[in-house]
Amino acid sequence: MYYKPDAVTTMSPAGCPHVNGFKVDNWKQNLRLIYQCFVWSGSAETRKRKAKSCICHMCGTHLNRLHSCLYCVFFACFAKKHIHEHAKSKRHNLAIDLLYGGIYCFMCQDYIYDKEMEQIAKEEQRKAWKMQVLDFDFDSCVGIGEKYSTWEPTKKELELLRHNPKRRRITSNCTIGLRGLINLGNTCFMNCIVQALTHTPLLRDFFLSDRHKCEMQSNSCLVCEMSQLFQEFYSGHRSPHVPFRLLHLVWTHARHLAGYEQQDAHEFLIAALDVLHRHCKDDNGKKANNPNHCNCIIDQIFTGGLQSDVTCQVCHGVSTTIDPFWDISLDLPGSSTPFWPLSPGGEVSVLNGESHSTGATTLMDCLRRFTRPEHLGSSAKIKCSGCHSYQESTKQLTMKKLPIVACFHLKRFEHSAKLRRKITTYVSFPLELDMTPFMASSKESRMNGQYQQTVDPFNNDNKYSLFAVVNHQGTLESGHYTTFIRQHKDQWFKCDDAIITKASIKDVLDSEGYLLFYHKQFLEYE
Amino acid sequence: MNKEARLKATINQKLTETGERERLKELLRAKLTECGWKDQMKAQCKEVIKEKGLEHVTVEDLVVEITPKGRALVPDSVKKELLQRIRAFLTQHAS
Repeated sequence: MYYKPDAVTTMSPAGCPHVNGFKVDNWKQNLRLIYQCFVWSGSAETRKRKAKSCICHMCGTHLNRLHSCLYCVFFACFAKKHIHEHAKSKRHNLAIDLLYGGIYCFMCQDYIYDKEMEQIAKEEQRKAWKMQVLDFDFDSCVGIGEKYSTWEPTKKELELLRHNPKRRRITSNCTIGLRGLINLGNTCFMNCIVQALTHTPLLRDFFLSDRHKCEMQSNSCLVCEMSQLFQEFYSGHRSPHVPFRLLHLVWTHARHLAGYEQQDAHEFLIAALDVLHRHCKDDNGKKANNPNHCNCIIDQIFTGGLQSDVTCQVCHGVSTTIDPFWDISLDLPGSSTPFWPLSPGGEVSVLNGESHSTGATTLMDCLRRFTRPEHLGSSAKIKCSGCHSYQESTKQLTMKKLPIVACFHLKRFEHSAKLRRKITTYVSFPLELDMTPFMASSKESRMNGQYQQTVDPFNNDNKYSLFAVVNHQGTLESGHYTTFIRQHKDQWFKCDDAIITKASIKDVLDSEGYLLFYHKQFLEYE
Repeated sequence: MNKEARLKATINQKLTETGERERLKELLRAKLTECGWKDQMKAQCKEVIKEKGLEHVTVEDLVVEITPKGRALVPDSVKKELLQRIRAFLTQHAS
């Protein structure tokens, strides 16, 4: 039931013929002014003017898709056709949408795409955004950050794409990113970690988009080598990669890991993250607001905050510290440190490695134990600032800030004075993990008496998905490391040095588990 | 204009002046993208375009078809969060 006079039925990027009537004299400047004042108001002054004047001249509403006439100062709403009446009576056939900046032509009865006008619109929008980031408003100085805009290829990029016509299409069953690693002599401890890191989505995205700009003078930057490694893994080559340069760099920067004997994969992970973090320091282009807080990609992905609360048993004063962490090391039942009982204040007795639980221990059990209040005992009194004397206290660990990638280290290798052994107790771990019960904020709610914490299904902040599992087979003296990694949503592969095989979810979940890598399901905008 | 409309206009003015309106818009945009609403709307638009034909469809066609569906599909959690933010803002700037 639309009456369309001789309307142009196809909108082309060349705009419509009716726009030419507008493009006279100083039209560009006038259009810019309209964008600055009434569409994307960047400064406090223009915002005030917009707030006051942008209402429909006919019905006074500030809603209903307000438009501004391009030929005169007239604001009217679209929904009630007030702007249409103006266009008809004054023969002003162009109007601009004050919400999105689109240009409407009443002759064509549609929004038009004019290259020149769109260019102006884009520039003005960028300008307004930048201003809002710098603008310190009364109480809130929170900017919005740089606006996301979809990628549009430049002339040069179009040329490059035309000259390089080969394309790689990522389908749901393609295996790009999977590549074996040759064992250079007991180097499976390094290989298994490399597999986990090259399949960490955010890390992969960082390196594949060339975000590392090296400031090191020498050739020994580990981040550059990591970048190269990603190129190798995503090159499409199926033959195993020989990581000799990586091994050499690791020996150079982490001397304690040098040599051809078997090392601990967990130690390698921490050493690697540490070297990467040091080499990354001034990498991300942004000036760190706080010189003590590094904003490198390693910190952004892996660093969490562990809160330690020490409560004096006499005055109940709490002393809190927050320490950064890259991983959570969890004690297991069967070790010489007692796992049971879980309740605080119970008698601490050494059970000779026997767990009293029925059924398998779960990761949640280990986390519960990790975050339980622990009575420090009379031989470990803490100086209380409230009581001004040494008192008995309890200590409790909780998560203050969760990292994007959480790595759990199951302490299977016991190196106490008496014995050196491997604890092979099976610990079951889930595919999806909710860390909410272990957060410092949850603890506070519990302390305020809110015991019945209804799980908020809309709060996705603490939900994690498993994406890599490092396993150790064998004994302390001679063992072998392998990794399960996740591709796409639910495909798992086993990486055993140079051999990559498909694995089932059951294989993964039934495995012993030494290092468990979880990735946040939902990412917050900063 | 009746009292309610005037109140709405005043609130809108305050939100615009302080730039809070833009911030709320961006928050809303982020939340609607995260929960998949934006993708749902994109799919709906594609349907309408297929129906009407690429050569003849106008922006108005899309607006008319998509708006009711879009309004209905906004998750309650998003509505709740935005309302909370607006309330907090009004409490701060009450005069």
